[in-house]
Amino acid sequence: MFGQWESLVIFTLLNVMLTVGVYVTAMSGQLSLATAAIAGLGGYAAAILTRNFGWPFVPAVLAGAVVGGCVGALIAAVTLRMRDFVLKLTTLAFGEMIAVVAFNIDYIGGANSFTGIPAYTSFWSCLIAVGIATYLAWRFDGSRQGFAARAVRDDVVAAAAAGISVLRVRVVTFALGAAICGAAGALQAHYMLIVSPQELGFFASLNFIIFLLFGGMYVLWGAMLGATVLTILPELMRFTTAYRAVLLGLIITVVVLFRPQGLIARVPTGVPRFFSRGKRATRPRSQ
Amino acid sequence: MNLFLQQLLNGVIIGSTYAVIAIGFALVFTVLRVINFAHPDIFMVGMFGGLLCATYVTSNFLVVAIASALSAGFVGLALERAVLRPLRGRDTLMTLIATLGVGIMLENGVAALISPDVVAFPAVISRQPIDLGAVSISRPQMVNLLVSLGSLAIVSYYVRLTAYGRATRAVAERPDVAAAFGVNVDRVSQVAVVLASMLAGCAALSVGLLYGNAWAFIGLAYGIKGFICILVAGNRYFEGVILVALALGILEALITGYLSSTYRDAIAFLLLIAVLYVRPNGLFGSYTA
Repeated sequence: MFGQWESLVIFTLLNVMLTVGVYVTAMSGQLSLATAAIAGLGGYAAAILTRNFGWPFVPAVLAGAVVGGCVGALIAAVTLRMRDFVLKLTTLAFGEMIAVVAFNIDYIGGANSFTGIPAYTSFWSCLIAVGIATYLAWRFDGSRQGFAARAVRDDVVAAAAAGISVLRVRVVTFALGAAICGAAGALQAHYMLIVSPQELGFFASLNFIIFLLFGGMYVLWGAMLGATVLTILPELMRFTTAYRAVLLGLIITVVVLFRPQGLIARVPTGVPRFFSRGKRATRPRSQ
Repeated sequence: MNLFLQQLLNGVIIGSTYAVIAIGFALVFTVLRVINFAHPDIFMVGMFGGLLCATYVTSNFLVVAIASALSAGFVGLALERAVLRPLRGRDTLMTLIATLGVGIMLENGVAALISPDVVAFPAVISRQPIDLGAVSISRPQMVNLLVSLGSLAIVSYYVRLTAYGRATRAVAERPDVAAAFGVNVDRVSQVAVVLASMLAGCAALSVGLLYGNAWAFIGLAYGIKGFICILVAGNRYFEGVILVALALGILEALITGYLSSTYRDAIAFLLLIAVLYVRPNGLFGSYTA
């Protein structure tokens, strides 16, 4: 329905959905560097179900979400004791490990990628999925668990002393975020019609972190804006093919230098009250 | 037995290169509390600095090595001044993304200016192997090993025995207290970043000579390994980082030699998770981020 722009629109929607997943995970201070791997697992799971077992589309996407959620819960449980920095890197290692393992399993195509996936994903299914994911994230944001998650992010010790179960908060946020990512991966698999282990690694995951930080990691809308802008921007810069990536790097560096809180640091003024119920923790404790 | 010794030697050679990169990460991390994600690409810049010098100026090994070190060191200096210093004391995540942005710029800049493909590295030193009885070692391998060990010796000397090294360790412990005692934190950080970059440049040159080629996107492969080393070791002792890097190189070489190379990287990452699960601050002690 968008002619030549359709693939860009769909990729933007998928990136927004993945970044929403990363945002939810990051709410409790766990910045996942395994997004692409989790999405890839969701994609593999859904694609195996539709291609090899003839499942319909929607249950397969849900299965992708379940796989993502379980993996996320597992990572959260393993990394519970780890501090900020180490945690990020453990998720990184996890992602790389999944990529290497996926390379070597013949059942899912190994290095030749998993192909022959039926083309189910359309603009509308993406839009609906993004809507559901955003709604979930938005409701979670304002819920008790959401506040508990931000408390854990800002100060683990104080949160625990206030009676918040750090384990539960971390497992819930990571599982919910990873489930969203898994579903997005399933959608992506049925659009690209291929899942390849090359796309599961650290650098693919890093894109979503960049989206999140660029847009602002403390507000849901910031995360969504970051993903939208940084997906569309490189396409708009096609006129400088050779230096496109250089410019992108420059833009990222400059934004971080001059607006370290991201493009949006709080709910923008003018947005109806409806979107900003309750008081929000929009900034982390200064370090 | 010969296979074992040969793989051990290969492992030590690869591991020593990992060690130089890991030391670069560790040096910058201890002083500035940031992971410098541009470091692998500074490594790459050093490789191309050497390549350009060898192609257009002279193939004298020493001159090429100096060109490598200077080009990488210059990029490190610019990075510290323009990005790391303004962001010091901010959320480490911001620095991470900013250095990453610089890394993307460097990689794609070199790819656009020179070549996005693998290019041949001029043979600055002969590739004739040297026979050591049970094992043989090629000249580039020897150079690689010597350069790495030399770099590690320089870092150890710098950190342990010089006034700046003492200041570096003080900044690593408590930047505010060090500043109160008259340490110029800016200067110490700058020296640390430039030193790490120059050594990475030399290591990159020796890697380019060893494999006979250079690539704008080579940073990632070595960066990730260096990264794993500092994570597993923790950043308290540089010697610990070196030890882990050598162990990782040997482990990889032995797995490649005796088993297969397919699961090699997965095993390394699994090991990393296992170590971090048991000792969340690394084998030898703490990263306080």
